[in-house]
Amino acid sequence: MKNQYYVTKYDVKADNAFALEDNIMVKDGLTTAGSKMLHNYISPIDATVVRKLLDKGMELAGKTKLDEFAVMGVSGDNNELSGVVGAVLDKTCRIALCNDVFGKVRRQAAENCLYYIRPTYGTVSRFGLVQTVSSMDQIGIVCGDLDEGIETLSVIAGHDENDSTTQGDGSLALNSKGPLKEGKYTIGIPVNVMNKTDEKSKEAIKELASKYHTEEFELEHFEVLSQVMYILSSAEIGNNTSRYDGVKFGYRSENYEGLKDLYTNSRTEGFGLNMKLTSIIGAMVLSSGNYEKFYLKAMKIRRQIKEQCDELFKGFDAIAMPLTLDSQDPYVNLALYALAPLCGLPSLSVPLGSNNGVQLISQAMNENVLFDICKGGR
Amino acid sequence: MKYEVVMGLEVHVELATESKLFCSCSAKFGSEANENVCPSCSGMPGFVPALNKRAVELGIIAGLVTNCEITPRITFDKKNYFYPDLPTGHQNTQLYAPICRNGYVEIETESGKKKIRIKQIHLEEDAGKLVHDYRTDASLVDYNRASVPLIEIVSEPDFRSAEEVVAYLEKIQSLFTFADVSDCKMQEGSMRCDVNISVREAGSSELGTRTEMKNLNSFKAIARAIEYESERQITAVETGCEEIVQETRRWDDNIGESYAMRDKEDANDYRYFPNPDIMPVYISDEWIAEVKTTIPELAEEKYKRLTEEYGLSDYDSKLLTGSRKIADIFDGTLKYVDNPKEVANWILGDLSSIVNEDNKPFDEIDIDYEKLGKLIKMVEKKTVNRTIGKKILQEIYTNNVDPEEYAREHKLGMIADTGFLKDIVNKVINENEKSIIEYKEGNQKVVGFFMGKIMRETQGKADPNTVREILVEELDKYKI
Amino acid sequence: MDIKDLLQYEKMVKFDLPESEREWIIEQANMLEKSFEALSGIDTDKTEPLISPIEVQNPLREDVAHKTFSRDEILANSPEQYDGYFLVPKTIE
Repeated sequence: MKNQYYVTKYDVKADNAFALEDNIMVKDGLTTAGSKMLHNYISPIDATVVRKLLDKGMELAGKTKLDEFAVMGVSGDNNELSGVVGAVLDKTCRIALCNDVFGKVRRQAAENCLYYIRPTYGTVSRFGLVQTVSSMDQIGIVCGDLDEGIETLSVIAGHDENDSTTQGDGSLALNSKGPLKEGKYTIGIPVNVMNKTDEKSKEAIKELASKYHTEEFELEHFEVLSQVMYILSSAEIGNNTSRYDGVKFGYRSENYEGLKDLYTNSRTEGFGLNMKLTSIIGAMVLSSGNYEKFYLKAMKIRRQIKEQCDELFKGFDAIAMPLTLDSQDPYVNLALYALAPLCGLPSLSVPLGSNNGVQLISQAMNENVLFDICKGGR
Repeated sequence: MKYEVVMGLEVHVELATESKLFCSCSAKFGSEANENVCPSCSGMPGFVPALNKRAVELGIIAGLVTNCEITPRITFDKKNYFYPDLPTGHQNTQLYAPICRNGYVEIETESGKKKIRIKQIHLEEDAGKLVHDYRTDASLVDYNRASVPLIEIVSEPDFRSAEEVVAYLEKIQSLFTFADVSDCKMQEGSMRCDVNISVREAGSSELGTRTEMKNLNSFKAIARAIEYESERQITAVETGCEEIVQETRRWDDNIGESYAMRDKEDANDYRYFPNPDIMPVYISDEWIAEVKTTIPELAEEKYKRLTEEYGLSDYDSKLLTGSRKIADIFDGTLKYVDNPKEVANWILGDLSSIVNEDNKPFDEIDIDYEKLGKLIKMVEKKTVNRTIGKKILQEIYTNNVDPEEYAREHKLGMIADTGFLKDIVNKVINENEKSIIEYKEGNQKVVGFFMGKIMRETQGKADPNTVREILVEELDKYKI
Repeated sequence: MDIKDLLQYEKMVKFDLPESEREWIIEQANMLEKSFEALSGIDTDKTEPLISPIEVQNPLREDVAHKTFSRDEILANSPEQYDGYFLVPKTIE
């Protein structure tokens, strides 16, 4: 079956089917991660999430298209619909799983009347997910019906012995730390972010704010979130993708004599331009002379950001963030999507109105508060 | 001009764990190529490292036996470079928070005792193995060793002679084998050593330009390489016709020379950064104390026990604690026969000579402690005599026989019937009247002559002490 | 970043980029590098780096060995293999 959103599409009934971004592994099937580098890679395992969903009796609708290694480009046009969003929108599956580190799916889901649940870091096993940014990778769920997404999360979340960073059992992510407040939530609105956003985002936030008590605050380091995100992620991506070298699996250039050519030609031919830029920047920020200035600095700012969030959630149940800024530049907009992955916080993309939405972020392991706010706010 | 050689050591030791550092694959040496490999340790995507607890504990033990401080919070870092033996494109190691710091070991050479300072010990993963294949004229990659846990012990530049280097390595080997940290087999690559070496004028406090020597596969090679490299450097300084550059040199033991390894064309920048997939490991005082109780008796303590509790000689005790293997045979056998002196005699005497004749290093032999113990007991109880006992030992060594069964089957039991022995003694005396006259004249050597004859008559199965008693008694009758 | 720097980084990450890509990458890299300068204004003297959002003790695995995959499964994706090994051009000359 051919479908513009899929790499591989199976003939199954959509109402009980899930789709996977093509960086999540299904045993004995191709997992390309959208890269020529893995064009022929047959996975020897089922990802833990796949195993869990299949065990629940769900069926695999197929593997969807993605940016190479799920790394969004920071320049040029980024508006092509993500495979996972298209697949759910098209009703070829009920839910779709992907690893949205850079925010493309979070934005597109809300803009297309869908939800995206990005759970707390370490809630869902990464076993069988092609690693991109290890400290931020987190499988999330695209869904049209939030309850279906929540149910799916309860199936796939929880400790997995194959991923030592996974925490707790599935229910943990669905239990708020305190009792639910039944509508009496306080939501923080970052004024400095709002000042830079567009009119439609302001409207969406206003709509949400009308249902809840809101308080304004200043989000520190917002002006460097894109930079911190880019520095840390490019280094991790460069490192995680250095395993693709033509030696053990995946693409090997036909054009080589010695070992050096084998490496260089396989990698030069196998990676796309954005991945090359990412790897080069990754090498730059880690190289001697730059490490302290860029990488170490970014890790320190990451801690300051996280500490501020910990402080904020003493007063707020959630933070509302717009999904677009008053700029088309993907690098500028990255700042909006960086907060959740940098701090490992759960976020929920909520569609509001047409082609519009908002992202809610809560403290770690407080997904249920996000769901409750979302339901009450609509 | 007098020169001084200054050296520091980087010793890699493979930890004696069952499984690898980050996955459950076997860490055993000597399997078929790529048999102990999973997607994780061959670099495939989609796997998260699962840190081996025992590896961390062995790292702690390595630090404890070398007087190091144990770091309370350890982390792991990625070292980036491309080589076919490194499946993930990075090596997991510890740059920023190594598990042990600031230790020392004491060595003893002819010039006396000396402390060698240890700068740090860090945990890391080993790389795979490359073999050149002549049929394909290509390199073959085996990942069995990839991700096997290692520790690297980095010393301060405290060495001044090859003798000190070898003494240090022997000390490390003794400490780690007795503490079950590693089997430290240089020939199997579970212990490897790089030497950083420079020369300077005697008395100077400045360090010269150093080179790093690699591919040192035996103590002998190390000593030779040090001699070669220090001479090369001294000649270079004296004649000025060659400049010493900081470089890595590979030792070729066949030709007895070292040569500079071609500078890797790549920029030598490893781009270390903390591994986000391995969270910090906190090593509490309680954990250290718990681990401490599991450390087996070290050579030094064992030596004390042997000399003080068992009254063995310094010389024998040194030999019996000289390697983990011989110490294990001693203690293992002692469980079955409570006579340390006899056990020591058997191991250092008869067993050693058998092993010697077999042309085998003692550390590679295999002997059943229970059977050895049984044999010693049989001789002690005079079930067999010592000469027969030695024959049975050879059988235990080569064919792993049970000494009791073997003695029974081959009718090697000792003749203890004094009446029967007396008859034989008198028979032999009567056949050699000439010798009786010599005895009467005071020639004691005759006793040995008679002993030999009698033992031959009994096929060696008589208890020599009993025979001697009877013989002297009977001979003395002729004196009157 | 100039071409000299780029060539250095290419060696580190094993690329040999075509000229057209080099031009674009240098342009992008310079834009990014310039944006990174903003970090230097933030005081981080008293801050420890944050490596991962989770900072609890890393779980430790008991040291038990078991075979999970056969050699054939491991070699199944290899571009070239020989006699149970992965095969690459010779590493020493």
